[in-house]
Amino acid sequence: MIEQALPGAEVEVIDETGQGDHLRATVTAAQFEGLSRLDQHRLVKAAVRERFDDGSIHALSVKTAIPPASSAPLPGADGSE
Amino acid sequence: MANPEFKQQVEKLISDNQVLLFMKGTPEAPRCGFSMRVVGVLDSMGVEYGSIDVLQALEPLREVTGEISDWQTFPQLYLNGELLGGADIVEEMYESGELAEQLGVEQPAEPAAQPEPGQAPPLQIDQS
Repeated sequence: MIEQALPGAEVEVIDETGQGDHLRATVTAAQFEGLSRLDQHRLVKAAVRERFDDGSIHALSVKTAIPPASSAPLPGADGSE
Repeated sequence: MANPEFKQQVEKLISDNQVLLFMKGTPEAPRCGFSMRVVGVLDSMGVEYGSIDVLQALEPLREVTGEISDWQTFPQLYLNGELLGGADIVEEMYESGELAEQLGVEQPAEPAAQPEPGQAPPLQIDQS
């Protein structure tokens, strides 16, 4: 889901309880370049909002990062301020 | 759309309190691990902060904070009227020293305080 919303992102999800509802996601995406940490988290949370709404996820820890050497133009990124 | 009066009240709380934490439970008895982590960070820094137990009005507060800050999960920490983030961001900022800098306090030498041993953790019921 996160990969769909952020094409090319590297996503690692750890299931903290083994029940699939408390997750920890580390997302590395070039789309984060230039965004505040808040906005980076907003993107990730927006991508999984449905799963919260339908109750399949209760808690999600998010850590975001920008890949090194991400100077390439970002496909589909809305860079406008 | 959130009730405008309620939204105004929340906005006023955010602007009236230099450091304000929306959390599940209270600083003395957090009702969620994420909220407890932020309380631990703030307490270890010796910062004074206001706190709101969002469990009093969870859904209306979700809606209102969504409109105000585009953020719907709790905890949420505000500084000078601006959302700093939830537990993950607050912890990252704490570890990098950014939080101490923004709050204008010394970075504590000790790691974030954990609940004192011997004090029973708040009981939680999983309502799933």
